[in-house]
Amino acid sequence: MSQNNMLAMILAGGRGSRLLDLTNKVAKPAVSFGGKYRIVDFPLSNCANSGINVVGVLTQYESVVLNSYVAAGGQWGLDTKDSGVFVLPPREKAEEGFNVYRGTADAISQNIDFIDSYSPDYLLILSGDHIYKMDYDEMLNYHKMQNADLTVAVRPVPWKEASRFGIMFADETGRITEFQEKPKEPKSNLASMGIYIFTWKTLRKVLLADMKNPDSSHDFGNDVIPEFLNSGKKLVAYTFDGYWKDVGTIDSLWEANMDLLGKKSELKMDDPNWKIYTGDASTLPQLIGPNALIDRAYITQGCIVDGEVHHSVLFTGAEVEEGAVVTDSVLMPGSVVEAGAVVTRALVADGIKIGKGAKVGSADSESITLVAKRVKGEE
Amino acid sequence: MAKAFGIITSASNRYVVEGMQEYRPISSFSFAGRYRLVDFPISNMSNSNIDRIQVYISGNPRSLVEHLGTGRHYNINSKRGKLQLLFHDEGNINRLYNTDIAAFMDSIEIIERIHEEYVVITTSNMIFTQDFSALLDQHIKSEADISLLYHRVENAHDSFRGCNILNLNRQKGVQSIETNMGNSKDRNIFMETYVMKKSIFLDIIKKAARTSSMYHLSGAVNLEASELDIRGIQHKGFFAAVTDLKSYYDANLMLINQENARNLFDPKWPIYTQTTDSCPTQYFEGADVKNSMISNGCTIEGTIENCVIGRGVHVGKGAVIKNSVILAYSRIGKGVLVENQVVDKWARIIHANEVVSEAGKPGYVRRDDTL
Repeated sequence: MSQNNMLAMILAGGRGSRLLDLTNKVAKPAVSFGGKYRIVDFPLSNCANSGINVVGVLTQYESVVLNSYVAAGGQWGLDTKDSGVFVLPPREKAEEGFNVYRGTADAISQNIDFIDSYSPDYLLILSGDHIYKMDYDEMLNYHKMQNADLTVAVRPVPWKEASRFGIMFADETGRITEFQEKPKEPKSNLASMGIYIFTWKTLRKVLLADMKNPDSSHDFGNDVIPEFLNSGKKLVAYTFDGYWKDVGTIDSLWEANMDLLGKKSELKMDDPNWKIYTGDASTLPQLIGPNALIDRAYITQGCIVDGEVHHSVLFTGAEVEEGAVVTDSVLMPGSVVEAGAVVTRALVADGIKIGKGAKVGSADSESITLVAKRVKGEE
Repeated sequence: MAKAFGIITSASNRYVVEGMQEYRPISSFSFAGRYRLVDFPISNMSNSNIDRIQVYISGNPRSLVEHLGTGRHYNINSKRGKLQLLFHDEGNINRLYNTDIAAFMDSIEIIERIHEEYVVITTSNMIFTQDFSALLDQHIKSEADISLLYHRVENAHDSFRGCNILNLNRQKGVQSIETNMGNSKDRNIFMETYVMKKSIFLDIIKKAARTSSMYHLSGAVNLEASELDIRGIQHKGFFAAVTDLKSYYDANLMLINQENARNLFDPKWPIYTQTTDSCPTQYFEGADVKNSMISNGCTIEGTIENCVIGRGVHVGKGAVIKNSVILAYSRIGKGVLVENQVVDKWARIIHANEVVSEAGKPGYVRRDDTL
């Protein structure tokens, strides 16, 4: 490895059960987002754009789609002689037999051999379920400047929501003095984004001890970070104030998609200097028919639209037939809204057909309607 | 594994497309928003399991070389297969010498070393899909010496000028190949696609090169019509030829028709191209888009009707674009009217109130130009 001598590990093992039927067949990081992307494209593209050459992706749950997708590192330009994306599911080992990953920290501990083979100076830990653009190299510069053992990326959240996050309390120099996991009475509103830069030598020692500790849950938030604090290591907070969204629920996934529709989307998807890369689809461009009516929409290649689309995001190959009306909705790849059907405030899952004249979702529903099964229409 | 290797000829030595061609060879012309013309023959070959492909280039090679790269995006196995770019241009001596046969003769040692028994030759100025392995099977079964692919049209009197046509007998035997002069409606347009044994191909080009420096392959094959068994095979499906600005414009606009678009872009026969990783297209309030093919990366605030729009095009508030082909990264400013135009890449129409040409006679706005 070269460039900044930092290796990245993406924790992509979670099922994401709050995404309901969307994660029946695929792990959360492989869920589609923003028309043509998958969630995991964001951390992977950020890595590529930040000059990180080697990325390990730790998978566990339903990882066939994710593994085959991620293994083609060329999509992010990470397939040169000294770069690569490596899928790291739990392995059977000679001394210990087969262990699943017991926690986020354990997933790293079980891959110490992989990390050591690149002898990095720094290790970047990411999660595979957030939508944001971030230059990890700038964060690394901060880590070096502070001479820290651990740098945690944080962002200010509204005080009333602070109890949902891991909260960092930092002094005026940026040094973290206290960490509270989902506190009832938060002392600060700086929430951890689940993005950590560790000095590898230090983390390695802590992990080796943690593996042997029978009382540990082998988790970064519960065990490793408290251990760093207790043993007097230097933890600093790195404040990030750009767009960042956890897309762990149907509502938040829908919302993050809707965020793309604004005149000045904070995510700046069209920034040519920080593109998000993804698997290329061999489809025609989007085809807009003679009866189409489109306003405020985010539409990608392969879509065929001959109906009305208002304030909605259409993913690769989605079709809206003549007379259909799609409002405030997300149509995932290959979904079809047949003639005359009406889709309102809904998220239509991959490949799902809404039959002729059918109605799904409603304008005043409290939460977003997830449509994950075919909806029959008029015959 | 196919028994044939592929050759894709440069059409730039036969046709001149006003304006566009100053910047790139015809093979490299943008088509249907996100493709370049050469993507079609290469994808046809790749999908037909032909993975040794020679692309002949004449004219400014920069954009084509950049676009083709290692050929990996065409699904060609990089170890077994090979995409070769062969540059040949004698246009600065005299365009007369710029023949496909001269280009082949330049690379004759390379062609001789290829071990595949057959060759499939096609061109990059014609847009169609064709399973070449089926064509090869049919050719071998027929025991003909050469098979030529053609498309039957009913508008040869006012289109396909300068293309070759095949005169066939009842058994589909090729009697002659001649240039379409527009004196008849019903014609068999020759798709510049040949299947034959490599040995026959080598004999023909060597003989032609000895006879005259002006021969093109079609002319040389025509001379063999009485000696060899040459058959025509009819192509069905989408077909367009780019021979001048008007035909380039027309070919693009044919795709606004959903039936045409679905015919050319069959999910079972993917057309590959180089991705630019542009984000999806954003439609804002005030956008009114109908009957158009739109690429990714655009921002649209105006009206678009009957157009093909390339990647990353900006259409300002109140702008109206009708019956036009807008190439990538162009900007159509607020309130501007554009009608019946081909607008080349990176052009900015921001000061002019309107750029309108007569229907059927598309105008051309130069690359990087500001109007």
